[in-house]
Amino acid sequence: MIKQMRRYESWFGAGAGICIIIGLYMGLVTSPPDYYQGEVVRIMYVHVPFANVSLLGYTVLFAGSLWYLWKGNPIVDNMSHAAAGVSAFFTAGALATGSIWAKPTWNVWWTWDARLVSFTILLLILIGYLMLRTFIEDKDKEARFAAILAIMGFVDLPIVYFSVEWWRTLHQPLSVSPRGLSISGEMLIPLIMMAVGFYLLFLYMAMVRTQMLYLEQLREAKKGRLLSQAYL
Amino acid sequence: MKFFRVIRWIAWKDLASEIRSRENISSMFFFAFIVIMIFSFSFSMDLQAAKDLMPGIIWVAFGFTGIIGLGKSFWVELQNDCLENLQISPAPKGAIYLGKLISNLIFILIVELVLFPMFVIFFNLDVLDKVHLVLLIFLLGTLGFAAVGTLFSAMTVQVRAREVMLPILLLPMVVPVMIGAVEATRGALNGDPWVLYRHWLELLIVFDIVFTVVSFWAFEWILES
Amino acid sequence: MVAIRGIQLSKAYHYYQVLKEVSFEVAEGECYALFGPNGAGKTTLLRVLATAQRPSFGRFEIMGYDGIEEKIKVREVLLFVGHGSSHYDELNAVENIRFAVAMRGGNPTDREIKITLDRVGIGAFADLRTRYYSMGMKKRLSIAKAILIRPQVLLLDEPYSSLDEGGMKMMNHYIREVTHQGAAVLLTTHDRLRSSEVADRAGVLQRGKLMEIAVKDLAAKDEIF
Repeated sequence: MIKQMRRYESWFGAGAGICIIIGLYMGLVTSPPDYYQGEVVRIMYVHVPFANVSLLGYTVLFAGSLWYLWKGNPIVDNMSHAAAGVSAFFTAGALATGSIWAKPTWNVWWTWDARLVSFTILLLILIGYLMLRTFIEDKDKEARFAAILAIMGFVDLPIVYFSVEWWRTLHQPLSVSPRGLSISGEMLIPLIMMAVGFYLLFLYMAMVRTQMLYLEQLREAKKGRLLSQAYL
Repeated sequence: MKFFRVIRWIAWKDLASEIRSRENISSMFFFAFIVIMIFSFSFSMDLQAAKDLMPGIIWVAFGFTGIIGLGKSFWVELQNDCLENLQISPAPKGAIYLGKLISNLIFILIVELVLFPMFVIFFNLDVLDKVHLVLLIFLLGTLGFAAVGTLFSAMTVQVRAREVMLPILLLPMVVPVMIGAVEATRGALNGDPWVLYRHWLELLIVFDIVFTVVSFWAFEWILES
Repeated sequence: MVAIRGIQLSKAYHYYQVLKEVSFEVAEGECYALFGPNGAGKTTLLRVLATAQRPSFGRFEIMGYDGIEEKIKVREVLLFVGHGSSHYDELNAVENIRFAVAMRGGNPTDREIKITLDRVGIGAFADLRTRYYSMGMKKRLSIAKAILIRPQVLLLDEPYSSLDEGGMKMMNHYIREVTHQGAAVLLTTHDRLRSSEVADRAGVLQRGKLMEIAVKDLAAKDEIF
């Protein structure tokens, strides 16, 4: 699997680059500004892909965790670890761009919207996952525990979303929300371009990171063999 | 059947040890008590604000208590290599999980039941006719917290920085429990009609069932060599 | 039947390769004494066989069950008595034994427990919480547990440590009894004299490799590695 990754990763990287450049051009230059929000709406072209891909990444992490528990393939574990790291990056991006979008539009940096809170919880779970991984020394335990954590978090996330949604309808009437944005055809195409570009970017980054993790483990093993030969 | 015997024995062992040493429960109790005191000082000026925030304060105190109790739950197994003994034991791991869950649940509930009258006294709450509702909410909320917390406790006791990892991993996961428990408590204490906050109880029940089952399944991966 | 069979067992911790393709067999009713310098990997080997650690490479079989695929069956027939005694501090000896045996599906009567405690020499301390036990007393309690559990394979890590003269005699007596009943015993030790009284075979684990030596050499030679 690693060999295939090495062969195809540059395709993904190039594809990502192309889509994003075209998407950004279309989004920033040729597409019309929104009737209500003006130029600010252009942040949507980054924010929505960030959010979509972060959820996709988490699904990849979930699937990878299940696969690792089932088969025990360490490369699958590397993939999951990589997916978690890259997803964290995209989740943080989604939150940051969401905040930047909210301020000029609705004059708030933050709102207790169900999606925002869910994304924040998602980011916390991912950070917890990455922290857990650094604090365990035994490689096998690390992989297993991380997989369990990822699965539990994935099951939890919909419940978090619904509970915050109910809570919000109870306490805060629906005044501000990043949803409810009508999208014209001209805005849809650059959006799709950017989304596809971000997907490809995610896959590219995840593949590179997976290989990095794999090589790190390989290096540890070789170091071990060298040192043990010297010692024994 | 061996499965249920294991559950009983694990729960009995934890309870008996705790009754004799009382070290965990006393630290849980005093910590929560201090939290309540600090909150009452913060809100002593504005009793109306205090009443509105009451359910949140109650559950924050319970949450901190729960984390201390859950942390200690597997910490005690580290002495004398008892944790490794559980790892290589032929007893079904799911039964060990349920036994630990029961003892954790009981400990946290005991502390809650002692603390709640203090809340009632300090904040002049009117609860006599709603006690059974409040107790039900305590049970459902604590069960959700403990179901995930028992699993994470077993996980984090085997890693470095264990004291800080448990809250870091646990708190984001139990957000639905906190929301549901606080809203249900608020509804019950306000004397609202049942239908208004019934769905929060349903949320708690769903969370409890889902996560007890998932943690039960996941436990054998965690308590394994 | 071969009770313990190691096939090219290897274990590496990070940089060390502690066990290097260790292969050996111990038959039912046999007692095998394992020697070796400090840090040679004796405890590691025992822990791998007890399924407390996974081997990096190689396989092993306990009573015919594969150590990696059929872990639960292995754990049912095997008992590992290690350095940490895996007793619970707040329970007394009787309760500790009942717990340990119950976790394995047994149910000893009070009388049986008392008799066993007397046999190992701590009958007078039966009702004392084990937190007050000395190392030697804890060791004796571990043996009492083993007597009541009656495993088919017994792994003893330095069984003579912490024991006084009477204790060591009791240990040897127990090992003889258990091997006559058909159990296999694998023990690690530094005490050549004591172990030569019970060992049927012996070996030295040095630099990760196992080499068998003659039992009569144990007492005779000045040093064996």
